[in-house]
This record gives sequence, C-alpha cells and structure tokens, in this order.
Amino acid sequence: MKILLLCEKPSAAKRIAKALDDNGDPIEKRIGSVPYYESKNGDRLLIVVPALGHLYTVAPKIRNRNVYPVFDFEWVPRYEAERNAGNIKEWIDAISKLSREADEFILATDYDIEGATLGYTILKYACGGKEEEAKRMKFSTLTDSELKQSYKELLDHIEFPMVEAGICRHMLDAIYGINLSRAMTVAAKRWSGKYKTLSTGRVQGPTLKFLVEREIEINCFVPVPFWRIDAEVEINGETFKIEYERSVIKSLREARSIVEDCSGRNGRIVDVNVRELHQSPPAPFDLGTLQREAYSLFKYTPRRTAEIAERLYLEALISYPRTSSQKLPKSINYRAILESLGRDAKYKRLTELLLGRESLTPVEGKGYDPAHPAIYPTGNLPERELSQPERRLWDLIVRRFMVAFGEPAVKQSIKVLIDVNGHTFYLRGRRILREGWMIFYRPFLRAEDVILPPLKVGQTVKIKNVSWKQDFTKPPSRYNPSSLLKKMEDEGIGTKATRADIIDTLYTRGYVSGDRATVSELGLDIIEVLSKYCPEVISVEFTRDLERSMENIKSGSERREDVIDRAVRHLKPILLRLKESERLIGEELSEAIRKTLLNRRIIGDCPVCGSGKLIIIRSRRTGKRFIGCTNFFKHQCNVSFPLPQKGTVSSANKICSKCGFPMIRLKLKGKRPLTLCVNPKCPGKDGMAK
Amino acid sequence: MSCRICGRRAKSEFCKRHEEAYKSILEGYREWREAMSISWREYLEEIAKNPYSGKWVKDVASYLLAKSAAEEKR
Repeated sequence: MKILLLCEKPSAAKRIAKALDDNGDPIEKRIGSVPYYESKNGDRLLIVVPALGHLYTVAPKIRNRNVYPVFDFEWVPRYEAERNAGNIKEWIDAISKLSREADEFILATDYDIEGATLGYTILKYACGGKEEEAKRMKFSTLTDSELKQSYKELLDHIEFPMVEAGICRHMLDAIYGINLSRAMTVAAKRWSGKYKTLSTGRVQGPTLKFLVEREIEINCFVPVPFWRIDAEVEINGETFKIEYERSVIKSLREARSIVEDCSGRNGRIVDVNVRELHQSPPAPFDLGTLQREAYSLFKYTPRRTAEIAERLYLEALISYPRTSSQKLPKSINYRAILESLGRDAKYKRLTELLLGRESLTPVEGKGYDPAHPAIYPTGNLPERELSQPERRLWDLIVRRFMVAFGEPAVKQSIKVLIDVNGHTFYLRGRRILREGWMIFYRPFLRAEDVILPPLKVGQTVKIKNVSWKQDFTKPPSRYNPSSLLKKMEDEGIGTKATRADIIDTLYTRGYVSGDRATVSELGLDIIEVLSKYCPEVISVEFTRDLERSMENIKSGSERREDVIDRAVRHLKPILLRLKESERLIGEELSEAIRKTLLNRRIIGDCPVCGSGKLIIIRSRRTGKRFIGCTNFFKHQCNVSFPLPQKGTVSSANKICSKCGFPMIRLKLKGKRPLTLCVNPKCPGKDGMAK
Repeated sequence: MSCRICGRRAKSEFCKRHEEAYKSILEGYREWREAMSISWREYLEEIAKNPYSGKWVKDVASYLLAKSAAEEKR
C-alpha cells in the first residue's frame, strides 16, 4: 500500500522519512527539483513529500490592482497571485502526480493553525479533494521517538475547526489588506502619477498607530528641569553612595536649601531594614518570551529569533517554537532530556545537580496552548557545528529548561535610613544568599552584589560631598522590535506566528526605521489619513474582537461565514468613504511619499558648503549616478563625488572619523554590505590606494 | 493656509503637528517657572537646544525666537 505523507518543509520531510523508515535510510528521489522520500514501514511504502510552506493563497477574483472594493476572494496557487513564486508550480505539479498513485493520505505539517491550513489547501486542491479522508500526525518535536509514536497513534482526521479559523484569518487579512492598500496606493498614484505601494491591514494599521502615538509624544516633548541630591557616606574608611529620600526635587531653591542643611554634618543611623526575598525561577519559554529575552540579551529581532528557533526545531534540537504555552507536561520525560543533555560537557555538572533529586517538578507560567507545550530542548545534541546565533539560542533554551526545575533564589536587601539634620538619606545593599535557579542561568544574569559593613541603629556616620545636580525629565522611550511585540501581545492583536512579520513589513514599507523604531513622514501621514477618513480600520478594539472570533471558530462557538460577513459589512461603508475622498487622500499622501523618497537619497550634510545636503543624483545625460549637493541648484556649491554604479547605495548614517565626510552603505548582491567614505581623497583611503 | 514652519496644510499659523508642539511649549513654561526663575525668551532658548526636546518642539521654539528677533529689529 502506498501512503502519501505531506510535510511542511523539505528538512522536516527528510527527518520524518528517516524516522519512519524501518532501516532509518529512506530513498531520496526527485521530480524535477522537488525532493521526496520513499520509506519502507512494514508492508507499507510511505511517500514523504514536502511543501514549501503555503502553496496556495487567497486572492481577489478581480486581479486589476487599481480596482477596489473587492469582496470576491478565492484560493489560488501562489504563482498565480504573487511575483517571485514561479517555483511553486513545479511543487504543486509534483505533489499532484504523487497523490494520483497514493492509496492513503497523512498530513504531517506543523500542528498549528498555519500547518493545518496549508495542509488542507494542498490536500483539497493539489491532491484532488483528499482533505476529508486524510489522517493526521500530531507532534511537538522532530525526534525519532516522537515521530514514530505519532505515526503509531494517527488522528482520524485533520483538525477542521483549526482549518476553519485559518481560512477565516487568511480571508480577513486579504479582504482588509488588499482593499485598504489598494485604496491608498490608487489615491496616491492618481494624484501624483507615481506608483508607490502603500499598505495597511487589519493588524498592521493598529500596530503602526501605537508607533505613531509614541512618535507624537516624543516630538512634542518638553523637558522640565529637576534636581537630584548626590551624597556619600563614609563607614570604616569605605565610601558608599547614598540616595536622598526624594529622587526628584522640583525647584532649584529647595535643592540649594537641602545641600546647605546637610553639608559638613554627620548622619545618624535611625533604622536598618533587612529583608529576604525569595525569587521563583522564571517560567519556561513560549515564543514571545523567547523573542524578548533574545532581544534583550543578544539584540536579535523577533523575526530573527523565530527563524533561528525554526532551524533548531527542524534539526530536532528543540520542540516546536510557535507556541503560547509556558507549561512542561510530564509526558516529555524530564529525566531523559536532562540525562541526554548531560552528554555535553558544558551541561554535565548542571544536569547532575537536577538528576540527583528524587522528583522533578518544573515551575510553569500562565501561558497555555492546547496544541504544544512550552519550548524545551529535546535532549538531542547538535549533529553539526552550530552558527554562533544558533548556539546562543539553543544554550538559552537549554538553560531556561533547567531553570524551571531550580529552587527559588534567596536575595537579601538592606535599606539603612540615615538622618542628616532632619533630612533622610538611604544607603542600600544587596547580596545573593542562595543562588537556587540562578546557577543554571548565570551567563545571562547581570546583577552585582553591594556588601555593606555591619551597621547598627544610633551609629554616627560621616556624610561627604553633598551636592545638587540638575537633570531633565526624559521623553518616553521609542519602541524597539521587542517591546513592540510585547505591546501587540498585551493588546491581543496578531498571532505568535504573524507578529514578527508584521513588524518587519512596517520597516520594508518605509513607515519605520532604526533599531529604536522612528516613524517616517510617510508612516505619520498614513495614520493621519486613516484616522481622518476611516478611524475604524486602525481601531485596536475591532482587531481584537476579530481575533476573539477566530478563537471562537477554533472552539466551535462561531461560524467562519458569520465572522467574514460581519467584517465585510464593517468594511464596505469605510471603503466607499475612502473612494469619495480619494482626491484629498492622494494629495495628503503624495507629499509624504515625495519626502520619503527624497530622504532615502540623502547621504548627509554637505561638509563643503555647510548648509546643503549631499544627495544621490542620476545624470539625465549619462544615466550614471553620483553624489551632489542640493545647493548646486542655487549655484552655491558644486561639490560632487563619484559612486559605484552597481549595487544599492544608502546613507550609513555615519560620519567618517578621518575626514568628517558622510559615509555610504554599499550592498552588492550576495555580498556583505560595505561602509565607505564618499570622499575620494579621504586619508583613510591612502592605504587602499597603495 | 500653510504651516509657517513646514509648509504643511494648516488652519492657523501652524500645522496640526506644530500646533500640538506649541501647546506643549506653553504648558511646559508653567512648569519651568515653578522650578526656577526664567523669562519666556530664556525658556525658548533652553528648550531649543535641550537634547531631550522633541523635534517639533525645537522647530517651534526656534521659529518663535527668530520671529521675536525679527520683530525687535523692526
């Protein structure tokens, strides 16, 4: 009997084929460039074939990009709807061919909403309606043992409620994204005659709104002065910094008076408060907490972390990473994982500490996911040399897993109250009394002990260097990719699988730039226009409401058709309003597009005339690009520099340390980006010339 | 009508963004005066050069300073 086993990606197919083959050695075959595997499993021949993620997508029946609103959508092969998806045809044809020879079907894609949806569409459209009869493998790791177990305990059918929710999400994203993006792009194009893809969407709009609200706060921020009192205390010949009872003194007059009162005085200890804090271990990782921790420790963006974690999963080193769970069920066999990890010399001593215990009970967080546990190491050791980011992330996941079984850490904090002529100062000390779980997480912890000498109430101490220092209130921090991800999670918009991609889209569209997300003119204008003409589409409440409905579809308490119908009824009048105001919207957006495109060409300030900007210009006569000063057109500066004619040139946002000229970033295809000074006579280039 | 600072569409002297910044400047002056003795002009000079001032706040402060300098010349 021939069974077709459909996987999500080529690397997963290879691993599944190997695990299910009786000899662990499946035969690799190809149809064109599409690989597939033949595995012997008893009297059955398993044809294990991978997809390439989604092979089908939702597209409007009217393909003309200038037409909106459109509400008739259908599933089509991706190569029909997307540019750069030409290779998908070969994969669909290969799967169709293999499906014709198969007697049974098993879906072995990731067990989540996307895995179920992509499997459903392939079984339905490429395999000729096999979605009802297909069985399902459910697994959270790609280890041999779990894959074999999962194959033995096949589910009778694919998870239809999850598929319904998945189809609904794709439909809603397309209905919102395509209509609103077309409305803005068409409006801008009709006004300016220039084409620039503008996009917004059901989740993208509210996310950009968070950023814009913060940007406005920062741009309108007025710092207000305040004063701090700095002082030191000398005890047994050692000097410690002490804090004044109020961290903020609102007037200069009061700050001066405090300094006057305390200078040259002794202090008297009036209280010594010693507290012990028991700090429980942090919960195991779900995807969001892993992404935030990786950003805080290594500065990896959420998307990068998700990609690295996906690779580690496909190599069976960690469990499925796209999970919301912070729980580690007993069934994963804690002891076996720890024993296995102990084969690595780095973890030997740490795992022994845990394995010596009679029982192992992990700490768990609130996060719950019916489909998968928290992210944990499978116990497998890497079969190849991991790259540094992969090694770091795997180490983080391994240690966080061990941490879950750790004892609480015990910390001591000491707060000493010192009276100085009627003013109170605090002297603080801290130390770790028992490391507990921290022993497993040591490379990632930063706190330092402050050990105080023995002190008693009534003791007199010498106060030194009392002074005031002026400071200013600070604007709120900009979001970074990690804090934005947290905000999206807290607001309940997007999913664990889509949030990182949405943040990335905001960057690629030019709405946001930099590690500390700075909103561009275009980003500000998009939200201004949407707030003015259709505030409903950037409403967090509505997006959150739709997310809830999709959860309800999964649990069977709402129907997909009703949710889509409600969304369309909501969107129709908005789009009509947008159409009526097309001219005004186009005018408002065009100026921002012009400025954004211009800003991308600016390299920096002109160091020759001092008032112009250096800008990338393409010669109408020769078609070649070069750098010139904007003051050239005012006949005030004729500085120009040659540019490489190949590759992408942008500002490096840096000034050359040798000559003070701006620097450019040159990106050639397939090469690492280069940072170069624009000045051909830069002293830094002397060595290069020789 | 267009904004005196950036040229964007405006209902009064400033566009919506710079108007918002102007309101913050007025509100901020009240807090600065509670903190220390400072004239309006000194205040504008301070916030125009302060690294924590928002970009639109700096735009408006610089504009107001330039405007009052021009008026003084006349």
